[in-house]
Amino acid sequence: MPRNAPRLRVLVDAPGAPAQNMALDEALMLAASEPTLRFYGWQPATVSLGYFQRRAEFADVPRDTPIVRRLTGGGAIHHGDELTFALAVDATLLPGDIASSYTGLHDAIVAVLRNLGVPCERLTSGKAQSSRPADRWCFAVPGQDDIVTAHGKLLGSAQRRVRQPRTRVLHHGSLVLSRPTLTPFVAAVDDFVAVDDGFRRALIERLTAALGSAIGCQPEAGECTATERDHAARLTTRYLDPSFTARL
Amino acid sequence: MRPDDRQYLKSHEWCKIDGETATLGITDHAVAQLSDLVFLDLPAVGASVTAGEQYGEIESVKAVSSLYSAVSGEVLEVNAELPDNLEWLSEDAFEKAWMIKVKLTDKSGDLMDAAAYEETVKAEQ
Repeated sequence: MPRNAPRLRVLVDAPGAPAQNMALDEALMLAASEPTLRFYGWQPATVSLGYFQRRAEFADVPRDTPIVRRLTGGGAIHHGDELTFALAVDATLLPGDIASSYTGLHDAIVAVLRNLGVPCERLTSGKAQSSRPADRWCFAVPGQDDIVTAHGKLLGSAQRRVRQPRTRVLHHGSLVLSRPTLTPFVAAVDDFVAVDDGFRRALIERLTAALGSAIGCQPEAGECTATERDHAARLTTRYLDPSFTARL
Repeated sequence: MRPDDRQYLKSHEWCKIDGETATLGITDHAVAQLSDLVFLDLPAVGASVTAGEQYGEIESVKAVSSLYSAVSGEVLEVNAELPDNLEWLSEDAFEKAWMIKVKLTDKSGDLMDAAAYEETVKAEQ
């Protein structure tokens, strides 16, 4: 890593409530003054909808499972025991076309997981999804560049891009650690290795290094600024609003 | 060379002005960057759009992106068939895949001609 590489601020948060999680990610996309990588989880387990999905398609989700709408696209995810990350950066740190931006990040993640004993790969051939996914769940239909094991799709990813005035990217990743109840067809890290606290720490450390390297930045632990927290607090209202969740 | 009868934004939207009406769309380069498109959300007729502000959203297989207006004004017409025929964007981004027509009241100061836009695209590659 060049000595003058930009800093990648790394935030490691405890599992959080769904609206707060989504609001903070949006605030980081809109307001972060430096490249930021945030790791977090979900408490309680939550279903997140892709930005353009219809709420009515999820009437069968148990009432005690919160549903939140993401800003990023794609299919729904049941976030149980997983490691979620949000990468909020200027688009200039990623390859120009969106597909290529996934390739570099996913290759970095695959290398980390293999090194930790999870035999996985990035799908490099096969059918790219060229129309609306056939299934409402993100993990049901692996597409080109998705990370999979022999058991199915292991990592869900999606992006949001805005210009203000620089183009900013929010890249979401959901790495399944243990299989969630509503989507038993997914792959999980604990199919291969025991997921204890030590493993979680090692996973975060290695993903931090690998993702930082993938975008040419030097990772460094950091904190949210007060401005970002305030911004997130304002945005939380929208994610809590049932009319936003059911906007489609 | 892309059509020189219209102007472009750095964010890869085009704008064709005819009298008081502006027609908006996105360029072939934007379509190529987005890759496979799956959803398009456009404003309703009668809505107001503002130069430099978001007027719609488009989802590709891997990303949701905002669409930015090159002009300010009221939406006169929407290409209502486009969301169900997103392949038009790959086939003919500059004509068949127009997105909205706006009664023009103002326009962005950041518009560039086709030659300048070509340079912008080259600089990105």
